[in-house]
Amino acid sequence: MINIDAIISQVFNGIQFGVLMALLATGLSLIFGMLGVINFAHGSLYMLGAYFVWTCVRLLNFPGNFWVALFLTVPFLALVGFIIEKILLQRMYGQPPSYQILITFGLMLVIQQGVALVYGTIPLPLGIPSSFAGEVNLGLLRYPIYRLFTMVLGLAIISAVWFFVERSTLGAIIRASAEDPETAKTLGINTRTVYTWTFALGSALAGIGGGLHAPLIGGLQHSIGVEIVLISFIVVVIGGTGSIRGALLGGILLGIVRGIAGVFWAPASDFVMFVTMGIILLFRPQGLLGRGAAQ
Amino acid sequence: MKSEKGSARKGLLADLLFIVIMVAILIPIYFIFPSKMMAAEILIMALPTLSFILLLGYTGLLSFSTGSLFAVGAYTAGILLSRHQAHIFVAIFAGVAMSGIVALVMGYFCIKRGGLIFSLLTLAFNQLIWFIIWQWKTFTGGPDGIWGIHRSSLSLGGWVINLKPTFNFYIFVILFFLLVFIFVRRLIGSPFGKVLLGMRESELRATAIGYNPETYKWIAFIISGMICGVGGALFALHQEYVGEHLANWFTSGEVAIMALLGGAFTIQGALIGSAVFIFLADFLNKFKVLSQSGAWLLVLGVVFILVVMFFRGGIYGGFEKVLEWVQKKERKGHAEGGEINER
Repeated sequence: MINIDAIISQVFNGIQFGVLMALLATGLSLIFGMLGVINFAHGSLYMLGAYFVWTCVRLLNFPGNFWVALFLTVPFLALVGFIIEKILLQRMYGQPPSYQILITFGLMLVIQQGVALVYGTIPLPLGIPSSFAGEVNLGLLRYPIYRLFTMVLGLAIISAVWFFVERSTLGAIIRASAEDPETAKTLGINTRTVYTWTFALGSALAGIGGGLHAPLIGGLQHSIGVEIVLISFIVVVIGGTGSIRGALLGGILLGIVRGIAGVFWAPASDFVMFVTMGIILLFRPQGLLGRGAAQ
Repeated sequence: MKSEKGSARKGLLADLLFIVIMVAILIPIYFIFPSKMMAAEILIMALPTLSFILLLGYTGLLSFSTGSLFAVGAYTAGILLSRHQAHIFVAIFAGVAMSGIVALVMGYFCIKRGGLIFSLLTLAFNQLIWFIIWQWKTFTGGPDGIWGIHRSSLSLGGWVINLKPTFNFYIFVILFFLLVFIFVRRLIGSPFGKVLLGMRESELRATAIGYNPETYKWIAFIISGMICGVGGALFALHQEYVGEHLANWFTSGEVAIMALLGGAFTIQGALIGSAVFIFLADFLNKFKVLSQSGAWLLVLGVVFILVVMFFRGGIYGGFEKVLEWVQKKERKGHAEGGEINER
């Protein structure tokens, strides 16, 4: 018998996971839309964020250390992204896109194995912060507070990024540099700086996603980013490239489908992601909210 | 008509010359190798690399599905050999056919979206196939893989050849390697290859002339899938075991690294890249510090990034540059001697 409670709970978990994936996909989509780079190292940045939080929690020994750590992931990962863009990617603009993909693939290997070298390959557990440990009664079900919190914070961050990119003046500069770099340059916009900061922003989003998710992962391992980056790629494809709302919609849809499939047969949860992607691509090759034949 | 026949004969001669040269190089090399298993492995891994280069170099498509197509070939051949005692040639042929069929279906979904989205889609399909192999325990063995593949007896009419000794198997692999290599050379020179090249230069113009880019890319994708299948089937025979890790996207990544190391736009780069990669991996793994922590991958990643950033032509590209430089010097010498030699 399949009980309704299990399904509802899985739908919630699905939404929670979906929001997290949307957070990653937003960063990925931003980087892809602005720089035209598919960032394979995105999952590694997510993993770095999780490890950074773990390290900070160990180092800072006072109540609320988790929140400080989570807050610090943003500048830290932005710095990492900044350096990566300056040293590696900036030399690759104007080269065939395949080289950019491959360089991020190499970067992924380096970050992942570097972390394995420093932290070892044994899973490192990170508990849920004690102030958010309990459950909350939502009427339909009792749901862990921390999961609910990641959902809310994730949605808030994605909304903020959307507002920043689509509505603010700085966002207009970013969009202008992406759509027509030549004209943007003649208007006095330094597109190189814009690219650098966009990549830093995307990296920070991946990092905070990793930090938020870290307590929910049984134990941190250097390979956690690999599966995550694949799922966020699928979210980007489903939602449509370059669309933040698409990333959110795609993430939540994928999360719910994945959660429900998991109730019936656990191994199917990964399988249905691919099936969902296949079906959506058959009927809407540009993704749910993609802009026509954007290439 | 006459000239056509003549050029066909010339092509055949060139191929024969190529075979003779390659055999003359490849057979003595075997005896230099420190580990005899490596020799065959290099030739086998050159095949998926060749398929990757064919696709990237001639259609501009960067595929991340080489790993899964390689694995499909390996599993098909492996299952036929271990459970159904199939003839080795039948198993290889089935592996190639199966990879071709999978590439046909995969290509249908992926080719429509060109460029970077193509790479993402092939990556997703690659993981889908890996996932099926991982989960379908009764058929693929799941995490255990397929055991009990034997290459000990290859019957040819009345003859039975034992492929168990590494040298015999190496010769067997050389045959397939040369077959595929010549096929690719022919393909590139054929009208089909010319259309692909034209499309790479200007898809719009090719479309205007009346070629359908999607169809041509699709066919190229299927052919490259079948080449992966040859490699996979041979790999199953080589290891006498097939594991699920072959289908993982890390295999695709490894193939991409090999292609870039060798030189991603020349078919000769495939062999060089695969050789350098396997030697490098073997060398790095000799150090216990590096192999235990997996840090050899770190070194590999750094080497790879440096190659992509600074030596984009790969090793073969560097080799060509040196040749060009020498030729230029020679030409200069001629010019100084008073000879005017245009072209």
